[in-house]
Amino acid sequence: MKREIPVRLKTLLYGLLCVLCVPFVFPTWWMVTSSLKPVSEIFAFPPRLLPADWDFSAYGQVFRLQPFAGQYFNSLYIALIVTAGTMAVAAMAGYAFARIRFPGQNVLFVVVLLGLLIPSEVTIVPLFQMFHGLGLTDTHWPLILVPILGAPGVLATFIMRQFFISLPGELEEAARVDGLGRFGTFYRVALPLARPALGAVAIFTFLHSWNLYLEPIVYLSSPEKFTLPQALTQFVDAYGGPMWNVQLAAASMTALPVLVVFVLAQRQFIEGLAHTGLKG
Amino acid sequence: MTGRAAARPAPGGRVAGSGDRAAGSTGNTGSAGSAESAGGGGRIRRARRAPGGGGGGRAFWTVRRRDNLVGYLLVAPQLLGSLLFVLLPLGLVLWYSLHEWNVLAGTFEFVGGENYDRLLADPNLGEVLGGTALFSVGLVVLNLGLALVLAVLLNQRLRGTTFFRTVFFSPVVVSLVAWTIVWQFLLQDDGGLNGLLAVAGADGPNWLRGEGTAMLSVVVVQVLKNVGLNMVLFLAALQGVPAQLYEAAELDGAGAWTRFARITVPLISPTILLTSIITVVGSLQVFAQIAVLTQGGPGMSTTVLVYYLYQQAFQFHHFGYGATLSVLLFAIVALLTVVQWRMRRRWVFNET
Amino acid sequence: MRPFGKPAAVALAALLTLTACGGGEATPAAQGPQPLRMTIWTSNEAHLKLFNEIAAEYKKTHPDVGEIKFDPIPFESYTTTLTTQIAGGNAPDLAWILESSAPDFVSSGALAPLDETLGKAQGYEFGDLTPSAVKLWQAEGKLYAYPFSTSPFGVFVNTDLLKKAGQKTPAEMIEDGTWTWEKVAAQNAAVEAETGKAGMVVRDFDYKGWDNLATVWGGWGAQAWSEDGKTCGFDSPEMVEAMTFLHKSIFTDKAFPGPGTTADFFAGDSAMTITQISRASLLQDAKFGWDLVPLPAGPKGEYSVIGQAGLGVFKKSANAAAATDFLAFFTNPANSAKLAAYFPPPRASQLTADTMAKSNPLLKPGQLQKVVIGGIEKGVVKPNHTGQAELSQTVRAALDPLWQPGADVKAVLDGVCAKIQPMLGA
Repeated sequence: MKREIPVRLKTLLYGLLCVLCVPFVFPTWWMVTSSLKPVSEIFAFPPRLLPADWDFSAYGQVFRLQPFAGQYFNSLYIALIVTAGTMAVAAMAGYAFARIRFPGQNVLFVVVLLGLLIPSEVTIVPLFQMFHGLGLTDTHWPLILVPILGAPGVLATFIMRQFFISLPGELEEAARVDGLGRFGTFYRVALPLARPALGAVAIFTFLHSWNLYLEPIVYLSSPEKFTLPQALTQFVDAYGGPMWNVQLAAASMTALPVLVVFVLAQRQFIEGLAHTGLKG
Repeated sequence: MTGRAAARPAPGGRVAGSGDRAAGSTGNTGSAGSAESAGGGGRIRRARRAPGGGGGGRAFWTVRRRDNLVGYLLVAPQLLGSLLFVLLPLGLVLWYSLHEWNVLAGTFEFVGGENYDRLLADPNLGEVLGGTALFSVGLVVLNLGLALVLAVLLNQRLRGTTFFRTVFFSPVVVSLVAWTIVWQFLLQDDGGLNGLLAVAGADGPNWLRGEGTAMLSVVVVQVLKNVGLNMVLFLAALQGVPAQLYEAAELDGAGAWTRFARITVPLISPTILLTSIITVVGSLQVFAQIAVLTQGGPGMSTTVLVYYLYQQAFQFHHFGYGATLSVLLFAIVALLTVVQWRMRRRWVFNET
Repeated sequence: MRPFGKPAAVALAALLTLTACGGGEATPAAQGPQPLRMTIWTSNEAHLKLFNEIAAEYKKTHPDVGEIKFDPIPFESYTTTLTTQIAGGNAPDLAWILESSAPDFVSSGALAPLDETLGKAQGYEFGDLTPSAVKLWQAEGKLYAYPFSTSPFGVFVNTDLLKKAGQKTPAEMIEDGTWTWEKVAAQNAAVEAETGKAGMVVRDFDYKGWDNLATVWGGWGAQAWSEDGKTCGFDSPEMVEAMTFLHKSIFTDKAFPGPGTTADFFAGDSAMTITQISRASLLQDAKFGWDLVPLPAGPKGEYSVIGQAGLGVFKKSANAAAATDFLAFFTNPANSAKLAAYFPPPRASQLTADTMAKSNPLLKPGQLQKVVIGGIEKGVVKPNHTGQAELSQTVRAALDPLWQPGADVKAVLDGVCAKIQPMLGA
C-alpha cells in the first residue's frame, strides 16, 4: 500500500468520495443554513444553499424562550458523568471478565450481556415505576444511573473485555515482578494500556447520553432540568406548530460543538484504536 | 504499545492464563494453544500459597481467594446495575405480560397466558415480523457494506481523508429530530431528491408512499445517520492490518480483490462481528425515525416490531400485550445474538 | 451467582413489592400546602404566562394550595408520556386531554366527575356551557373534562391566488349560494392549472390523519361510524360518494395536492386550506389577501366540524378535590374570557362576535359570527371512539391503497370496514 496511486484512479476515488459526501453533508448543511433563514424561506423549493436574508434572530430566541444555557449545562454534565462513570465501571468489569478467573464468571458475564439485548422502550415503564418509588423522577439520577450501570453500559463492558483479552499473557507476570497485586495490575498496568479502547467507549457513551430522547421526556418535567434533545421539542408557536428556525438553531448549537471535538480528537482516536488492536 | 509489557523480564512461574482461560471457555479458537499451556501454569500457581503472605492468620487469603475477591469486587457495580436496571425490569415486563393492564382505569388483572394466545392469533404479527426482518437485513447489509466501502476508500493514501472522515461521521452527532425532519422534506414527492432526479431527467417515485420505496427510504435514512460509527471502527481495524502482508501477497501475484478477500476481510473479521452485533441489535430498536417518516405505513409495510410494541403499549394502552411483544422482541434479539456469537467460530479468523 | 444471589433476591423482592404497590396508589396527603401539577402540551411562553397569572391569582385566596406547576410535554409524545407517568404511579393532578383520546379517558374511570364542583362554584354559570361542546366529555350524564378549547374548522382562502386564476371570491359565491364542494373543487383545479400553486389543502391530513377528512365527507352526510359507535360507516353510500369525489378531485382534477407533496397555505403556496380557526394567528405577516369562510356545502347541505381539547382531574390524585376546585377557578367566566385569546371557549355567553373579536384581532366580526359561533353551535366533533388510537391506525393502514391514481374506492372502503367492524363491535 506504499505505492503512489495512479492519477486516474486518484481522480476516480476523489470523485466517488465527493458524490458520497452529498447525502451526508446536505442535511447538516440545511440544518445550519435554515437556522439563519426566515421561516418562509426554509421550505422554499428548490432549496437554497445559502439564506437570501441572513437572519440571526433565531439564535437569540433560543435563549429567550427556554433556559437553554442551563439545559446545555445539564446535557453536558450528565454526558460527562455518564462517560466517566461508564469508563470506570466498564473497565473494571471488562478486566475482571477478561483476565481474572472466578467461580460463576461465565454465568455472570451472560447475565451482564443480556443488557445489550434490551431496547429501552421495553423497560422504560418498570424503570419509571422504580425511580418514582424512590422519589427520583424529575431528577437527573435516572439519566445518570441507568446508562452507567444498566443496559447502555453493557456495550462498553463488552468492548473493554474484548480489549483486555487481546493483551499478552506476560502482563500479569510483569506486574507481579514489579510487586503489584491483582488490583494494582489492573490499575497501574492494564488500565494505562487500555486508553484507546477507553477512547472508543468514551465516544460511544458520550454520544448516546448526549442524544438520549425518550428517557428525559419520560423522567423530567421541569424545563430547567431538561436536556438538549428534549429542549429542541419545546420551541413551538401558540398552536403547537414548531418554530422551525428556532428549533434548527438550537439543533445546530447542539451538534456543532460535538463535531468540532470529533474533528480535533479523531486522529488520535482512530489511530489509537488501530495500533492497539481493538478488533472486536 | 504492547511492547511495554512484553519487554519486561518474564521468567517462568506465574503466567497469566486466567484471562485466556476465561475466553477459552466461551469458545476461543485462535489462542487455544496458548490458553492451554498458560492454563496449566495457572493451575500450578494457584496451588501455591500467596507469596510473601506474612503471618499464619493470613493463610486464608490464598492468591486464588484474593483473585476471586478482586474479581467479584471489579464486576460488582456492573452486576448490581444489571440486576437492578436490566433483570428486574425484564422480570417485571414478564410479569406484566401475564396481565391485562388498563393504565387509565387503573386495573391490573392476572390473565395467565391470554396475551400469549393473542400474540399467536394476532393477524398483524406475520406482516410485522416480515417487515422487521426486511428492515433489519436491509439495514445491516447496507450499513456494514457502506461502512466497509467508506473505510476502504478512506484508508487509501489520499490527501484530505480527514475531511471526508469528518463528513461521513457528522450525521452521528446531529440530533435525530433534525435529521429525520430534513429527510422527510427531501423525500417528498415534490421534494429535494426528486428535484435532483428531475435535473438528471428521471422521474423519481413517491418515496415515502410506495410500499417498497418507503422501506428503502427508512433504511437508507437510518444507514446514513449511523454508518459513521461503523466506518470509524472499520477504519481502525484496517489500519491495524500489517502492510507487509499486502506486499507479500502482491509479490505472489494476488490482485486487489484477492488481497481484499483473502487478507483484509479475515483480518478484520472480529470487527465485522462486533459491528454486526451492534447493528443487528440496534436495527431492532429503531422507531423514532419510523414514527416521523412513515408512521408504519403505507399499509403496515414499515411497521417493525419495536414500533408495533410502542403503538400497542403507549398509543393503544394495551400495556399487557405490549409487554408480551417486548418478551417476543427480547427473545428474537437474544436468539440472533447467540447465533451470531456461535457463528464467529466458523468465520472469524482470529478471535483476539 | 453465589456471592450476590442472596442480596439480589432480597433487593428483587423489595422492589417487586415496592413497584407492585406503586402501581398507581397515590401517596397519602401530607400536611401543609399541597402542590398541584397539570400536564399540558404547549410550551408557548404567552400561554404559560397566562396560566401562571391565573394560578397566582388563585393562590392568593387559597393558601392551602402550594405551587401550581404547569408541565409542558411535547405534543407528539404527549399521550405516551402521560400514560407512562400514570403507569408509573405519578399521575398529574390535572391534565389536558386530546380529543382523540377523550373517549378512552372519559370511559375508563380515571377522571373525577366535575359536575358537582362546577355546579356549586360561585358565579360559574355551569349551564352556560354549550351542549355540543361538552358532549364528547360526558359519560352517563356526568362531565369528566372541561372542553377548554373548542375550535371549529373553517376554510382560509388566498384571495390573491383566486383572482390570478380568474376565479370568484368566496364572499361572492356565498352571496350567490354557490359555495359548494363541486364549485370549490373546480376553482382549486383552475388555480392549480393557471398558477401552478396547490389548490385545497386539508391541513394535518397529509394522507395519514384521515379524521381530518370529516371536514369534507360531512357535506355528504357520511360518518366514520354510527352515533353509537357500533357500526362502521366507511362502506355507506354517502361515504363512497364523498370519497369518490375526493379521489377524483385529487388524482383527476388536481384540486387537492397529491400524496407526498407539501403546500403550506400560510406561506402562500395554496389557494385554500381547511383548518381550525385558531391558526389565524399564522396570517399575522401574510403577504397576500385572505378570507375566512365556513366549510362549503355538500350534497346534503351545510355542516360544520369542531376540534376539541379537554381539561380533566385524575380521580387518583391525592389532591383531587383541590384540583377540581382549581379547575373551577381556571375556567370560570372571567378566566375563560382570558383563555379565549388562544382557545375558543365552550361558553354560549362568550360566543358572541364582540367577545371573540377582542381576542382575535385578525378576524372580522362577520367571519367570527359565521365560522366560529355558527360552527360551535351546530358543530360535529371529529370522529372519535374508545380505543381511538388503535382504530385510527387501522383505518390509516386500510385507507392507504385509496391514495393511488387507479384505486377502486368502493373496494378499499369495504376493506376498511372489514378491518374495523370487529373492533367496533367489541
